[in-house]
Amino acid sequence: MIDTFMTVAYLMVVAVTIGSVAALLQKDLLRAAFISGAESIALAFLFHALLAPDLGLTQAVVGTVLMPGIIILAILKTRRDEESD
Amino acid sequence: MIEVSLQLLTFLAASLLIIIGIAGMLFLDNLIKKLISFTLLSDGVNLALVSLGYVPGGIVPILEPGASISDFPKEAALIFGPGIVLTNIVIGVSTTAILAALIIMLYKRYGTLKASKVLKGEME
Amino acid sequence: MSETVVNLWSIPLLVVIPILTAIVLNLLYNRVRAIRVASVVSAAALLVVSIVSPYGLQWFTGQPGVASDGSYTYSTSIFSWKLSLEYYFGPLQQILIFTSSLLLLFVVVISTRSLKKDFGPYVAIMFLTYFSTVAVIMVNDFYHLWIVVEIGSLLVAGLVAASGAGSAQKAALKYTFFSALSGSGLAIALALILGITGYANISDAISFLMMTDLGNMYNVLYISFAFLMLSWIYAGGLAPIHPLKSDVYRSAFPHATVLLQAQSKVMLVAIGLVLLRMFGGLPFAREAMLSISLLTMILGVVMALIQTDFRWILAYLIVSHSGLVTVGISLGTPLGIVGGLFQAVNDIVYMSVLLLCCEMLLYFNNGTSIRSSGGIAKKVPWLAAFAILGAFAASGIPPFNGFQSELILIQAALGGGLPEVAAVILMVSVSTFIALFRGIYSIFLKPSTNPLPEGSESASSPPRGMPIILGILVAITLILGVYPQLALDFLTESAVKVVYVPWVP
Repeated sequence: MIDTFMTVAYLMVVAVTIGSVAALLQKDLLRAAFISGAESIALAFLFHALLAPDLGLTQAVVGTVLMPGIIILAILKTRRDEESD
Repeated sequence: MIEVSLQLLTFLAASLLIIIGIAGMLFLDNLIKKLISFTLLSDGVNLALVSLGYVPGGIVPILEPGASISDFPKEAALIFGPGIVLTNIVIGVSTTAILAALIIMLYKRYGTLKASKVLKGEME
Repeated sequence: MSETVVNLWSIPLLVVIPILTAIVLNLLYNRVRAIRVASVVSAAALLVVSIVSPYGLQWFTGQPGVASDGSYTYSTSIFSWKLSLEYYFGPLQQILIFTSSLLLLFVVVISTRSLKKDFGPYVAIMFLTYFSTVAVIMVNDFYHLWIVVEIGSLLVAGLVAASGAGSAQKAALKYTFFSALSGSGLAIALALILGITGYANISDAISFLMMTDLGNMYNVLYISFAFLMLSWIYAGGLAPIHPLKSDVYRSAFPHATVLLQAQSKVMLVAIGLVLLRMFGGLPFAREAMLSISLLTMILGVVMALIQTDFRWILAYLIVSHSGLVTVGISLGTPLGIVGGLFQAVNDIVYMSVLLLCCEMLLYFNNGTSIRSSGGIAKKVPWLAAFAILGAFAASGIPPFNGFQSELILIQAALGGGLPEVAAVILMVSVSTFIALFRGIYSIFLKPSTNPLPEGSESASSPPRGMPIILGILVAITLILGVYPQLALDFLTESAVKVVYVPWVP
């Protein structure tokens, strides 16, 4: 028996995995930071599905705003593209 | 079709995140990419700890008014792991901030983000 | 009994004063005079608190599960577990905290000259490092242990990067990246221990392990032991990651390294005792700890012998002598533990003497390389004298304290039926002598080769009061060497408790 909630949870597991790989494969560092933020939303949903809604809220705020914010700040202070040579 | 429990699946996702994070920190050459890998690693550990406490068919561990106290310990999800995760999220943020500051300082000194040039380059 | 135990007044002071001082110093930012007054007053207050405090407990939630006579009090509530977050202040804690407070006071006094700007945050990080040192030896629950180790490793990065050199920033970056692994491992170990036993409190967890047959859950203990040991190795800079930690030691300012080495040795003692109390009964646990200690001692001293810079020699010797501390703890006998703890106290003191002499070289010499001009003994005779006395103490020459603790360690190794360990300890002692005097001869004693014109070597004048500070520290090494019983009285009870009643903090 598969209800909607569980289906979404399975989708989020896939999203977390694909998102993490996709973030690391980007050439553009700013895009990588945004994708890692999106991966955190999926993670926050998983926390919710695993009966820890308080952690879901914390992760949603910290993982999508604070962590990418720090990384984006570091990128703006350094450089946006990955050196190739 | 084979029934896979949510707990097993999230445990799998957590171990994948941890492996991706460690591999990224070891093998990627860009310091910002290493930083993102670190956040992935800490996310993976958090997910593993939360899924340790999951009880299939359980309830959120909040004692609502009027609920049965005797049934509560059997049904509620364990809060050992989640109690740690809240702190781990905070530690992850502060470590990320310190790493970002160090990366900015090193970029200003050496003008590159490549770890192979920054870390193993000319000494002083 | 457990109902009559009251919270100790001094533990909150020891934890809160450094944090408050750090906040105030951050606000003062660059007002050097105000910062100097505030930090010296605060450090002196901490020293006084550590001296006059009685022994006792401080807990935050729940009741202490274990009464003072070792009996087990068990209160049932709707949850069958309780969160007893607990600090303990005893004789061992007192002597280690006293030593760290003394060093903090000295370091704060002399650190005012080393930076041009951002002075307040720098001293604030020093106070927070002291906080992590003090808290890690007092904790009696895994939760605080984990948090304090994490905070400590972040502070190491801050203190090292503050010295401003490129190599220091690199060392800090590498060390912080590795903290991802050890911190996550410690979190997982904590979760597993909580899952097996249901207690965050170390005393409660040990009582549970002793009373309960774990069955097939026993293997989980090995995993948590492995992760805890990873963080032990990381916090103390033991063998597999000694290059990272010695990089950290040598690239910070020498006076900051004084605090860093005190922190890492106290962390080695604290986590090592927890490992021994919790997992001492596991087969191969002590053997694993012992082999890592031996590896650290040998690798550290060999690396120290081939260095050509006094700072690098000291960095590798600190790593090597950390192995001396852990070898005593991992022997597991009361005599061995006393030796390890005594070695930790002595080590912190005599390494501080050497590091502060190294700091003065930055003012009187144009660097710390052993190929630099030399002839310091003629220019600053007292500095050469203190360096030689510190080197005697470090290499275990009889009237100094290093001799006493190494003697105890060798006796413990022989008594434990491990003469090989005793041989390695002797080898480390002799090699320390060679490595140190190779550096001291060419920097201090050798006649100067290219004399520099007077007053051109350093822009800022050396901190005043340095002869007094070095004199006090050398006096401590001498007193502890002649009357070792002064320190052993503090340590014996703790060591005996660890072996025979491990559930008592």
